[in-house]
Amino acid sequence: MTATSASLALAGNRSVLRRVRDWLGNPWGRPRFLVLVTWAYIVWSIVPVLIAIQFSFNAGRSLTAWQGLSLTRWYWGDPVDSVWADPTLQAALLQSLKLAGLDMLIATPLGVLLALGLARWRGYLAEASNLLMLFPLVTPEIVMGVSLSLVFLYLFDFIEPSTTAQVLGHVTFSLSYVVVIVRGRLFSIGRQYEEAAADLGATPWETLWLVLLPLLLPAILSSLMIVFAISIDDFVISQWLSCGADCDTIPIRIYSATRAAPLPSINALAAIMVYFTIGALLIAYFLFRFLTRGERAAGKAGRSVVADMGGFDM
Amino acid sequence: MVRGGEVQVVDLVKRFGPVAAVHGINLHMPGGEFFSMLGPSGCGKTTTLRMIAGFEQPSEGKILLDGEDMTGTPPHRRHVNTVFQNYALFPHLNVFDNVAFGLRRQRVERSELQRRVGEALALVQLTGFEKRKPVQLSGGQQQRVALARALVLKPAVLLLDEPLGALDAKLRKQLQIELKALQQQVGITFIYVTHDQEEALTMSDRIAVMSNGRVEQVAAPRQVYEEPATVFVADFLGVSNLMQVTARGADAQGHCRIRLEDFELQAARGDTAVSGDTKATIRPERVRLEPHGSTGENRVPGTIERAVYLGNAFQLIVRLCTGQSIQTLFQNTGDEMPYAQGAAVHVHFPADALRVLRDTGARAPTTDKS
Repeated sequence: MTATSASLALAGNRSVLRRVRDWLGNPWGRPRFLVLVTWAYIVWSIVPVLIAIQFSFNAGRSLTAWQGLSLTRWYWGDPVDSVWADPTLQAALLQSLKLAGLDMLIATPLGVLLALGLARWRGYLAEASNLLMLFPLVTPEIVMGVSLSLVFLYLFDFIEPSTTAQVLGHVTFSLSYVVVIVRGRLFSIGRQYEEAAADLGATPWETLWLVLLPLLLPAILSSLMIVFAISIDDFVISQWLSCGADCDTIPIRIYSATRAAPLPSINALAAIMVYFTIGALLIAYFLFRFLTRGERAAGKAGRSVVADMGGFDM
Repeated sequence: MVRGGEVQVVDLVKRFGPVAAVHGINLHMPGGEFFSMLGPSGCGKTTTLRMIAGFEQPSEGKILLDGEDMTGTPPHRRHVNTVFQNYALFPHLNVFDNVAFGLRRQRVERSELQRRVGEALALVQLTGFEKRKPVQLSGGQQQRVALARALVLKPAVLLLDEPLGALDAKLRKQLQIELKALQQQVGITFIYVTHDQEEALTMSDRIAVMSNGRVEQVAAPRQVYEEPATVFVADFLGVSNLMQVTARGADAQGHCRIRLEDFELQAARGDTAVSGDTKATIRPERVRLEPHGSTGENRVPGTIERAVYLGNAFQLIVRLCTGQSIQTLFQNTGDEMPYAQGAAVHVHFPADALRVLRDTGARAPTTDKS
């Protein structure tokens, strides 16, 4: 211990390691360490997707070697192998969109009503039902797929594996997501608006239609979005309930193509899936902002009252 | 002008599981009265109000409006309206649509609807605010919209659940006066729930003091303050100066003879016929301080423990020779403080102001009540 190091210690000088830790921690602003970790995670998860989309613009037929930029070859340019030209790829795209659309339109209203019913039902049976609602969320997809196909094989054998069976399968597991989302919002809204509406003479139906549903709007839009994303992404259940080539969805087609000789048109197909998902997200977001435009106080940038109830933080 | 509604609550009981929030209460509110239910949190006042509104179903008992039994009627068909503690204004509707909500449910036709909404907003002094959304209003303004929304339907009874709780003190005082004036102007029954005794005393025609699901006393503000029926009521309203005494029944003049340690006192008020261990109370402003050595009945020697300057009054805390601490209050007339800290005095409890109480066992919450 020399005189200089002793005086340094007295001067309160921190070690290098300590200074790095303090800088990362940053008690006065954004914690830099958390920001770093978050960005690392985002980059790690998005970069593979970006690479896949990048190769959908590949000029050549390789999925791994970049052979120059071609914006349209695999989308509609190539007369044989592009998405536009290949009927099987188009059929897969249409089937995915059809399933996702039907799933959205069926699962969301059913889920909202189910959530309302469960939230208002008190008692032991209600607790049990609440728990049962979570089962599809935690069940492994392969189990869901196999059990659904068994149900359609033995129990409801009048339903062949077909688009109908696929829709029913999708709706079954999407319901849980809708219920969980809507129930959470209902809980944070509380009973006060319903009571106020009833107090002012609204029948239960009027209360539902005029007060609850407008207030649940963010949750409903979130549900639509989530259901769309889950449905378009689903592989296991769609495959188990598939009738063959006619019922193939994009994930199924990508999977079978990858085992044969894949072309960048597969990347294009996957990229189209991503564009649709982002599109759905944007539509839901701007629709929400448009519908709640009156609720933002002047000066309170961006947050409406309904959003403050935790609507759009998914 | 709408004639007020008469509300009667008969043997009302409400149980949540094994716990009874309301233990069988009976209340009668004649039409046109400003009636308050006052008590600490958990005393059952809000539960009672919600049962009158219809949001809770009583476990036992009946609720009558103008003689008609409405215990089984759902809330949307009862002719009462509620103003909630957090206003519950519909955030997705503007002020006009909020106020018009009830009228639209009654299918009132357009021109009359516009007229009545305009009248209601004028009544609460919010004309011109029709297009605003609730989030753009201050707390006081939201409160008034909630009032207008309820009053526009011309209910027989208006129920108010601690409506001023979320406002700052100055706004609260202003709205207290406005509410009272409004009630007198409109002429309907107001049933008001609060835990703030000053609020209840200023606004009500009658107060029901409640504790632990039971009604301790129902009387006009003056009676409830000056002649509390039980220990709880005395302790909850204002400062009570409770003293543990032994009572020995009434004497020839009807005064109760009570014994405070070694001192014999006469109490002219309260349950003068009671005997045994009980409590006596006297309000601070009625206690007289006399120089040490004064004689006469109801005088106990003591020392000034603390002298506090309150601005408009002096508060002198006296420690009696028997050990109790008595708070006294003197108006500030511009003179100096009558006694300094440490001075020896004789405390005179005028028999006329000393009250013997019945102890129902109810306890006021132990917060600082200075």
